[in-house]
Amino acid sequence: MTEEEAARTIWDGLKTAGINLVATLPDVNLAELLRAVEEDRDVVHVPLCREEEGIGVCAGAYLVGKKCAAIMQNGGFFNSNNAIVSTLLQYQIPLLLLIYYAGDVGDRTFSTSGAMTEPVLQALGIRYYVMRQPKDAAELIKRAQILAEDSKRPVALLLTKEVLGRRAALGASHPE
Amino acid sequence: MKRFDCLKLIAAEAKDALVVSSAGATTLEWNALRPSDGNFRVRTLGLCSSIALGMALGLPHRRIVALDGDGSLLMNLCSLPTIARMRPNNLLHVVFDNEVYEASGSKKTATASCTDLFAIARAAGIEKARWANSVEEFAQAVSAALKGEGPYFMGAKITTDRTEVPPYPMDEVENKYRFVRHVEKTENIEIFKSGLPASYA
Ligand SMILES: [Mg+2]
Repeated sequence: MTEEEAARTIWDGLKTAGINLVATLPDVNLAELLRAVEEDRDVVHVPLCREEEGIGVCAGAYLVGKKCAAIMQNGGFFNSNNAIVSTLLQYQIPLLLLIYYAGDVGDRTFSTSGAMTEPVLQALGIRYYVMRQPKDAAELIKRAQILAEDSKRPVALLLTKEVLGRRAALGASHPE
Repeated sequence: MKRFDCLKLIAAEAKDALVVSSAGATTLEWNALRPSDGNFRVRTLGLCSSIALGMALGLPHRRIVALDGDGSLLMNLCSLPTIARMRPNNLLHVVFDNEVYEASGSKKTATASCTDLFAIARAAGIEKARWANSVEEFAQAVSAALKGEGPYFMGAKITTDRTEVPPYPMDEVENKYRFVRHVEKTENIEIFKSGLPASYA
């Protein structure tokens, strides 16, 4: 799957899950996905200056009926921790967090960020799923949104290079 | 100026506006003046204006008021360019600047030395930004902002004295449920899914 197709798959999955407001901060690995977000006129797109404000924007929008997702790098997830704890968790507000997994196995950069990502999610009690197979992306997004709504908590999807079409997925039976 | 006097003026004009207020005495004073399920108290320092922005974008036809403080806004200055960029015309962002972290022991903030929050808001791209320098100016500006096309930013230098009011009457989760139910009722929409599946599945 090309990067463009992978981004389209993820974006279609978010739309099918009912997401209609997205707060984003760029990462080069998210460029195609963010392009799909920008081109979509049916969804409110909030480009952020810092990820933590996006947690507030999504919380406020949720309280008036929007279904929200925040798209960021794991560095942005670290930036957002106080808002996640004292707004999302304290008030029991669901939010789909799509976090680019910088420092994933095979990467040449950000190994420290990669090492801390899952432990911090675990410490916060945030359920998370590492997305590796582009073909599973849409269904996993749909299920994660159900879990977020049902648990009234944030749920994180870790976006790897594989699911973003930027590296071959292991175990993919058909080379693209 | 006293914050309590300014809040009275907002309460007189607010009608059905949804009001987001920063943690601390502002919330308590506001809730005493306008007790309503359409009030939402913020617990994360800084997030008041961002939560209000999210509401303003989610309900573009409804007036949204953020009651913010200097310490709070200083922690989340990047909210101003984001508001300017998104241009929610239904948002009024009021900042009560008493030059201290009032709820945190009254240590001075940067506005006590040199920082001008209005100038930052204007430079961020919020055209309808201003200081209100007297109670009369504040009254006139609030009235205009709750009728006109925003986003509006209004700063007010206030004294540090508090008004004795009761404590906040509910916890965060109750605040959330009441607020959402209030929005559902007044907007005639469903936000929380009604009920669980008929059988466990
Ligand atoms: Mg203050």
